[in-house]
Amino acid sequence: MKIDWGALGIVIVVSISASVLFMILLASSIRLLSASKVRANQGGSGAVMLSAGYALLALAALLVLFCIYLIVPQFH
Amino acid sequence: MVIAVILVALIFDFTNGFHDSANSMAGPIATGALKPRTAVIIAAVLNLVGACLSTEVAKTISGGFFDDELITASIILAGLVGAIIWNLLTWLFGLPSSSSHALFGGLIGAVVVGAGFASVNGWVIVSKVLVPSIVAPVVAGVAAALATVLAYRITRRTPSGHSETGFKYGQAFTASLVALAHGTSDGQKTMGVITLVLITANLQATGTGPQPWVIFAAGLAIGLGTYSGGWRIMRTLGKGVVEIETPQGAASGAATTATILASAHLGFGLSTTHVATGSILGSGVGRRGAEVRWSVARKMVFAWLLTLPGAGLVGGLAALLANFGTVGVVALLLLLTVACSLIWTFSRRHRVSHHNVTDSREVLVLAAASQTTYVEDPRVTTTPKPKQKTKKAKAKSAA
Repeated sequence: MKIDWGALGIVIVVSISASVLFMILLASSIRLLSASKVRANQGGSGAVMLSAGYALLALAALLVLFCIYLIVPQFH
Repeated sequence: MVIAVILVALIFDFTNGFHDSANSMAGPIATGALKPRTAVIIAAVLNLVGACLSTEVAKTISGGFFDDELITASIILAGLVGAIIWNLLTWLFGLPSSSSHALFGGLIGAVVVGAGFASVNGWVIVSKVLVPSIVAPVVAGVAAALATVLAYRITRRTPSGHSETGFKYGQAFTASLVALAHGTSDGQKTMGVITLVLITANLQATGTGPQPWVIFAAGLAIGLGTYSGGWRIMRTLGKGVVEIETPQGAASGAATTATILASAHLGFGLSTTHVATGSILGSGVGRRGAEVRWSVARKMVFAWLLTLPGAGLVGGLAALLANFGTVGVVALLLLLTVACSLIWTFSRRHRVSHHNVTDSREVLVLAAASQTTYVEDPRVTTTPKPKQKTKKAKAKSAA
């Protein structure tokens, strides 16, 4: 019996890329939502940024759901 | 006998829940993203859900660790007793040691004493427990550090009020995911043990996974344990190691979840505690100006190193007793009850509950990141930048 380096490698790659991707989506969404608020306060329309922000938020949620979907054996 | 072991296994699961609820919810409680009560309820429910998600780790434990021809129910019982006692002791001292390693240590100790070295599959343990236990916290730390750096960089020009609130939700969300992952990873360990008992008692075929009722019972026990809350450890983890702002909390939660779920899926018997601590430290490294208390971190590492052999020793001693047949087993159960009630009594003397989880003196100093704790000090609240607050708070504590 040997140490399963392949599986460890998968853990490393998946963990880091998933958390980084999630964080990029979340932070960008927060930035967009905030920018839209600022724009609205200045009298402009922040609608585009607002919807883009929520879209990214939804993407982040989808990412999480997809990852959970991957590990649940009942779905396969 | 089998019923007794299953009950003790569920008790272990319960202690695991309250020992580890800190992992998921310490962060958001510390930054005020979630109220303590709400946090614990969410964590409890998600632990239950998480436990039902996967069975890979359970299969590793029930199928790979030990030679199930040589193991008896009383040996497993002894291992569980070792794990529970170790878990309660570290809980008493507020050490976020690993419940998983307590379990593995206890079982290994008991098996070695009860059935000899030959019955332990050493390589499986090295490959599925020891190596991941070193690699995973580092991975989680790196992931959390990267995510933290990105979070701050992306929201650099965003008004701090907005990003603070935004990440507060983010943190609450990822913390809930950590609770889910904890259920998945640690709930399975109890399932694995119960399945192992059923296999050794010939009630279940060798090599099969846990049965549905086992999955549900384990999930329920860990959920209840989480609900009763590990306030003591929450204090160390939430504020003791590193100051945490909401973006860091969100980042470390994401990293913890990703690492745990990925490893659980591949059957690694990972310690949630180690991973969570690793990512909290990582998030501290990732934010410029954040203070990481390496001395506290070092103390934790010692606790971790002690856990496997410590729990193994207790498990081994318990196995000696269990070898005396029925009398020994009854004595063991009595001993467990006595030990539990003793530790419980000790813990009542210095209670840490949801009322005072964030307000010890040490915590106040380190709470620099979460403005809420400081409102009483006018000098501090009027300063504009969070970094200056930290310095003043430190100066104050030194004086």
